Amino acid sequence: MAEAIAGFTIAKPHILNSLQKTKLDLKPCSRWLWQCSSTRLFSGWQQPKGSNRKRASLSKVNAFPDWPLMAVMVEHIEGQRDLITYKSIWHLSDQAIKNVYVFYIMFTCWGCLFFGAMKDPYYDSEAYRKDGGDGSGHWVYDKQEDIEESARAELWREELIEEIEQKVGGLRELEEAGRK
Amino acid sequence: MASTSFLPKTISPFLTNPPSLPSTHFTTKPSFLNPPADHLACTRKSSILTPSAKKKNPWIDIFDDGEDPDMEYGSLFVDGKQEEDTRPADNPNNPYGFLKFPKGFNIEVAQLGLKIRGDIRRCCCMISGGVYENLLFFPVIQMLKDRYPGILVDVLASDRGKQCYELNKNVRWANVYDPDGDPEPAVYTDMIGILKNRYYDSILSTKLAGLGHAAFMFMSSARDKVSYIYPNVNAAGADLLLTETFKPDSTNLSEGGYHMYHQMLDWLGRAYYNVPRQPVPPLRVSISRKLKEYVEAKYRAAGAEKGKYIVIHGIESDSKASMQSKGDTDSLLPLEVWDKITDDISGLKPVFVIPNEKERENVEEIIYNEDIGILFITTPGQLAALINDSAGVIATNTAAIQLANAREKPSIALFGSEEKGKLFVPKAEEKKCTIISSKTGKLIDIDVGAVKQALQIFDMSLALV
Repeated sequence: MAEAIAGFTIAKPHILNSLQKTKLDLKPCSRWLWQCSSTRLFSGWQQPKGSNRKRASLSKVNAFPDWPLMAVMVEHIEGQRDLITYKSIWHLSDQAIKNVYVFYIMFTCWGCLFFGAMKDPYYDSEAYRKDGGDGSGHWVYDKQEDIEESARAELWREELIEEIEQKVGGLRELEEAGRK
Repeated sequence: MASTSFLPKTISPFLTNPPSLPSTHFTTKPSFLNPPADHLACTRKSSILTPSAKKKNPWIDIFDDGEDPDMEYGSLFVDGKQEEDTRPADNPNNPYGFLKFPKGFNIEVAQLGLKIRGDIRRCCCMISGGVYENLLFFPVIQMLKDRYPGILVDVLASDRGKQCYELNKNVRWANVYDPDGDPEPAVYTDMIGILKNRYYDSILSTKLAGLGHAAFMFMSSARDKVSYIYPNVNAAGADLLLTETFKPDSTNLSEGGYHMYHQMLDWLGRAYYNVPRQPVPPLRVSISRKLKEYVEAKYRAAGAEKGKYIVIHGIESDSKASMQSKGDTDSLLPLEVWDKITDDISGLKPVFVIPNEKERENVEEIIYNEDIGILFITTPGQLAALINDSAGVIATNTAAIQLANAREKPSIALFGSEEKGKLFVPKAEEKKCTIISSKTGKLIDIDVGAVKQALQIFDMSLALV
């Protein structure tokens, strides 16, 4: 690591000064990369220390922070092949299991109500499906009031016309009287 | 005030009006607290503005000392009555379709002016009672139209009373909601929602309000909540929620007769700055052409000719459609008496208006006179159209009498007592109405001979026709 850092700090002025020396300087860089890939690429590698004869390392892949999807364990034993154990069972925490069950219960309750209502004969009955007050299929609750309202407006217009006619008639009479 | 707080009755200053504070509390009262000249001027001016000045309820606003005598109403709003259409003119030059607002027009300030002037754009009338009470409310609606031009009047009435508004051109919507009844909670809350959605400026109610009815009106969020209240202890708390209250003379408003709403009319037509007092309009009904045609077909089928029949209304029945006033329960005559009255009517055909089909047989049986018509009519609209085409009306104290007066038809009104007659048909001579009242105070003892004599007014009118 210290070498890599040194390489970087040395490399910086060289890149700036001359292109020739960059080839030489690439070397420590690539070595650093290689070292990292072998030892620390998977941050989950854990190397239990203490026994020289047997070493094991474990790698976990999480779908969500609390939701381990897969685990790979590699055990090194001297003189033998590596023992690799894959575990691809979902490991849910208690909280997650509880959440799943709560969701299941809620969905079941909602589903009973919703899909039960789809079968409810009331919604297919005449009381619910019959035509609305104006025959359109929509219930228009103010229909009667609106008819009455327009009838009154009509009445108002009739009266207004009558009044105007009377006034005009009176004016004509006055005019005729004036002419005579 | 700080000195009074040490006294045992600390609540008393809030219960009474500030001017009527016990003067003992202010032993060294500074003179500026009660300048005598100004105070006199204030009371005089307010008494001019509101002739029926009542004691204000200090609970509503303890700092409300009445009108400000120094207030100047200049150009803040236009003097006089409200305009019929407040919408500013269209502006064809404006690319955005904005209206031609006057310079400096500020919508909030405009509203303020309207509030000071007391403009009413939308008004709701809740009318208690049946057909008779609703019919007598017509002058109030006309008054609203005259006094507040451009007003939209809606009505809430009982199912019977609502039928009257077929005859009223001034009403926009009429809904069934019986203020006297005991509504279901769903209907009650629904109606509050409807009233709130319509954004009324003013709600008038002729139901005698207690706290419950006042709360209903309060929840409608109208600006002015105007109602009659109980004249007794039942009114406790009602005026806290109402802006204006009227106290009737008795617990039955209908006992006031034709002028049963006189307090409300008085208040609505009050003089205000440059607006003079609005005269009370007479009761008028308007009948639509459609209704006239329908009723004409109906009475032709019953064998009557236009202008050649007399409407007889007020047959005793257990029907709800007999259109009596709540203030005069003794106002129906049994068929035997009607038989005597119509015994020798000739020339004009008596048309009996029955409120229920089951009365038809009784009329056919009991009435001796063969030349009669029988019509089944329950709505005031049809009755008015029938009366409009008739030569005259003989009726007891039912809506028929008021309709005849409204259409200026000659009528004979049979009353149980003379006082009732004067109450329900004031100025009878002007209305071509002959009042015949029983001497004993009971309608059934009415003098049939007098009625027969009075029948001559119909013949006269027929001769004129």
